[in-house]
Amino acid sequence: MSLSLPRTPLQVFRDHLRAAPGRMVHSAFRTGTPSTDRGRSSFVFGNVFLHLHSVRTHRWSLRWMTTAGLGIASVAAFLITLVTGVLLMFYYKPYPDVAYDSIKDIHFVVPTGRFMRNIHRWAANVMVVTVILHMARAFYTASYRAPREFNWLIGLALLVTTLGLSFTGYLLPWDQLAFWAITIGANIAQSPREVTDALGITEHFDPGGLQRLLLLGSDTVGDEALIRFYLLHVMLLPLVAAMLMAVHFWRIRKDGGLTKPADVNQRLGPPPADVYPVFTEEPVKTYHLAAIVRGRTPAVGSGPEHTVPSMPHLFYAELGVLMLTLFVCTALALVSDAPLKELANAQVPENPAKAPWYFLGLQELVAFSAFMGGIGIPAIVLIGLGLIPYLDREEEGTGVWFGGPGGWRLVQRSIAFGFSAALIVESIAIRFGWLREWFPDIPQLVVTAINPGTVLTLIYAWYSVWLVRRYGSTRAGALGLFTCFLCGFIVLTVIGTYFRGPNWEFFWSPADWPGGH
Amino acid sequence: MQKNKWLLLVSSLGVLALLVVAAVQENYLREWRQVQATAVGDEGPIPVMLRQIVNPGLGTADRCVSCHVAMGPGEQGVTGPQMALHRPVVHDPAEFGCTVCHGGQGRATDKADAHGHVRFWPEPMLPVSMSEAGCGTCHTATGVPRRDVLDLAAATYARLDCAACHRVDGRGGTVRPDGGGMEGPDLSRVGLAGYDPSWYDAHVAKAATETSGPWATAFGPISAPDRAHLETFLHTRVAAPRLIAAKSVFLSSGCLGCHKVSGVGGDTGPDLTRIGERDPGQLDFTPVPGRRSLENWFSAHVRAPSSVVAGSQMPALGLSDEDVQALTLFTLSLRRREVPGSYLPLDQIRVARLGVREFASDGASVYAAFCAGCHGPEGQGHRAAGLAAFPSVANPDFLGLASDTLVAETILRGRPGTRMRAWADGTTGLTAEDVPPLVAHLRALAGVPAPSETRPPRWVAGDVREGERLYAGSCAGCHGAAGEGADAPALRNPVLQELATDTYFVETVRRGRRGTAMPAFGTPSSTYRTLSASELESLITFIRSWGGPS
Repeated sequence: MSLSLPRTPLQVFRDHLRAAPGRMVHSAFRTGTPSTDRGRSSFVFGNVFLHLHSVRTHRWSLRWMTTAGLGIASVAAFLITLVTGVLLMFYYKPYPDVAYDSIKDIHFVVPTGRFMRNIHRWAANVMVVTVILHMARAFYTASYRAPREFNWLIGLALLVTTLGLSFTGYLLPWDQLAFWAITIGANIAQSPREVTDALGITEHFDPGGLQRLLLLGSDTVGDEALIRFYLLHVMLLPLVAAMLMAVHFWRIRKDGGLTKPADVNQRLGPPPADVYPVFTEEPVKTYHLAAIVRGRTPAVGSGPEHTVPSMPHLFYAELGVLMLTLFVCTALALVSDAPLKELANAQVPENPAKAPWYFLGLQELVAFSAFMGGIGIPAIVLIGLGLIPYLDREEEGTGVWFGGPGGWRLVQRSIAFGFSAALIVESIAIRFGWLREWFPDIPQLVVTAINPGTVLTLIYAWYSVWLVRRYGSTRAGALGLFTCFLCGFIVLTVIGTYFRGPNWEFFWSPADWPGGH
Repeated sequence: MQKNKWLLLVSSLGVLALLVVAAVQENYLREWRQVQATAVGDEGPIPVMLRQIVNPGLGTADRCVSCHVAMGPGEQGVTGPQMALHRPVVHDPAEFGCTVCHGGQGRATDKADAHGHVRFWPEPMLPVSMSEAGCGTCHTATGVPRRDVLDLAAATYARLDCAACHRVDGRGGTVRPDGGGMEGPDLSRVGLAGYDPSWYDAHVAKAATETSGPWATAFGPISAPDRAHLETFLHTRVAAPRLIAAKSVFLSSGCLGCHKVSGVGGDTGPDLTRIGERDPGQLDFTPVPGRRSLENWFSAHVRAPSSVVAGSQMPALGLSDEDVQALTLFTLSLRRREVPGSYLPLDQIRVARLGVREFASDGASVYAAFCAGCHGPEGQGHRAAGLAAFPSVANPDFLGLASDTLVAETILRGRPGTRMRAWADGTTGLTAEDVPPLVAHLRALAGVPAPSETRPPRWVAGDVREGERLYAGSCAGCHGAAGEGADAPALRNPVLQELATDTYFVETVRRGRRGTAMPAFGTPSSTYRTLSASELESLITFIRSWGGPS
């Protein structure tokens, strides 16, 4: 027989104290342990961070081959730079010369400072690489197609933001490398002057000078430029990137998850026994997201047979990629220190002064025409990339690697063509010079119009048009063009990085540079 | 899902392992931690922590004392296998830090980075044997004597055995047997701190009263010239004997004839004022043997300039190893640091604001500093491969005919068209006041007085056509067809034409100039044509025709 006595206030208090940890967790997550599918679903949509995901994920999306985790790796790299960057901000002082000393202090004295700076630097580079590869993945699986056109544009904006983040961070150490790389960058911003000068209208209309002034806040790289770059680097661009990312992720969900081939269910076959069936109890309420999404997305009209709960399946994958990215960044950080050269000195120009590696392809073109290399061709490439989803309205091969007419064979041929064309044009320019060497008195406008960059662009464009006609498909042309530009980017970047020495002359190895460097 | 779980597990463990490695590196493997772990203080092992000397005025934060603990402020008691004390110096390292004198990278905490012999650090540590070059960062010496004077002073100090009682630059001085310290005071810094000018009288008086010990046995009367040498020696004891000796070598080798240092000197060669700050990373070390260090570059360069700097006009000087070392030390000392006024030493202020020169202003010193490089230390002239000969300015045949005005004006106004520049144009540090002693010094070198003129400056009135013919036959080969100079000096030089008298020309041609290729045309010879008095007059009349009307 149990005796039920009225509980004393102290007992009540003790019980509440005991229950407090459990209630704290419950109040935070509300759904309890996500052991049922319903619980898992509410775990996802009840969480402000997780609800950017759909509650269920298609099995196709979880295959490693589908995305190679590149998008998540980019986000992971962004988060790593964010955390390490905030840590660095505790010690970094954005003022000329003092900035350099503070980096030296971070390197030598701040506990784990060197490590954090190295991770920050490597994560930034990893982010540039993964963002480019992620774009290539999205392109080659034709994931830009309707209804994902706009998300492709957001992706392009994120690419530009990523490069901007990396470039603005480049100046902050205030060393020779930074100073002269930014000087080069600022001169590229000024390159429209090449055209206005040639037309003789710079006095009245000088967009190049204005761009440079906006970038540097002064005529030369100095304290104004440093504050500007710092603000952009630690506040403006991260905010822009975070907002764009939010839209980017949200659109994935709204556009029906990741791209899947039309015959995805046949390709996958029946789900294995351990992941399906997934319902552990009779659902009280089913979620037909598809019901509120209009259009012909793969999610519409199909049941949940080939999906698994995002919690935990998707999150294991995402966390796995996050940790892998972190591993790569920390490993690189342990092996290789972030560079820090001499204190910036406007009197001692670096020769060669090189921009960050991802701009060296452009710098290679800038050597012939600043305007075309710095403004013209990048603009053409960005506009072309942005137009792709609106020109390619086909459906064949969506969600399949190298999908579309021609397929992998076409891409292989385009790789061969893209590399050969870039190498041949560069070889001619390196071996025999270019118009300026042949006709010293030629007007600059001619060189601006006809230089290795524009010639290469025209060759690629011609090849792409030929593909469109040959295959009767815009997608085929796009496949060829994108592949070619990727190859050209690689060739120019490698030449700019490894084979260009003082005065931007060609050398097989830095050991051949004059001056015994 | 299984694959992703494994991915998460493996990559997480990998990250964990890397973090452990980083933590061990950070907390156990740093060089300074290991060094400090071996050190012991007064109360047992010292706390292992980062140590530094910060001087906001000088803009230094020197972490050198993280390894060199015993050199840090208040840590002289720390001992250990890797600990050494700093020798006593004028500037307390506890206040001034380390890098302001020694160079290197004070902020660094790894040995290689701190000592600065790494890529991308423009200011590596000075070699220990050349530490005194660091004094040049803030200090400049004034009244540096000529090399022979300095050598004589040191020799006198040694000969008179002053070192029996006095310690100088770490050497000499006996300790009293009763343990009462050194017999005489340490004289290493008397050039800075000053000394009793009546020291000799005091010595004599003291010696007269003492009956035993060194006063009675070791001290004797010193002659006036020897006392003068000793004064020179004492004046130059500024705790940097090697640097003073190096400056003396530089200032006695005529380097200022081509190079400027702090606004003093010519400008044929590069300005050396801050040459010691050159970034080794910006130099070409291909032809330089040994380590890529600034001192190696400088010594290789001073040995054979054109082999290190392509196209260098600087002649190889044929220096001894000691002189190469001295000049290297001197060039390394040519560095500057912006310091606040409270740190600016008086000597620097005197030099910078009052224009005081580093060397003495007597004719011999001025000659040694400005002229000896081209005209030779004895005025004997100089030939360097690939360059036209520099004339012998102390040639007795020349000075026997040239008036003081000719010599003085040549120095002041130079010889346009030659490497002899106008020295009194206000940019060289040589002033008009220096010229008379300089001319007197030249006369002393040559041992001839100024010529006494009886004839007017212009008196020749010969046949110009004959003179032209004679010139073409006898002179044009060396002096050039139009007197523009070739192997021999230019004769149509306006300064020469204006200042030299006809007698000077006539007599030079007649008597020749011994020690040079100029023969005596008035003396019968089998190898060249002898000129009669009237032919001489015609010849000079022709040569004078280049000088314009006068």
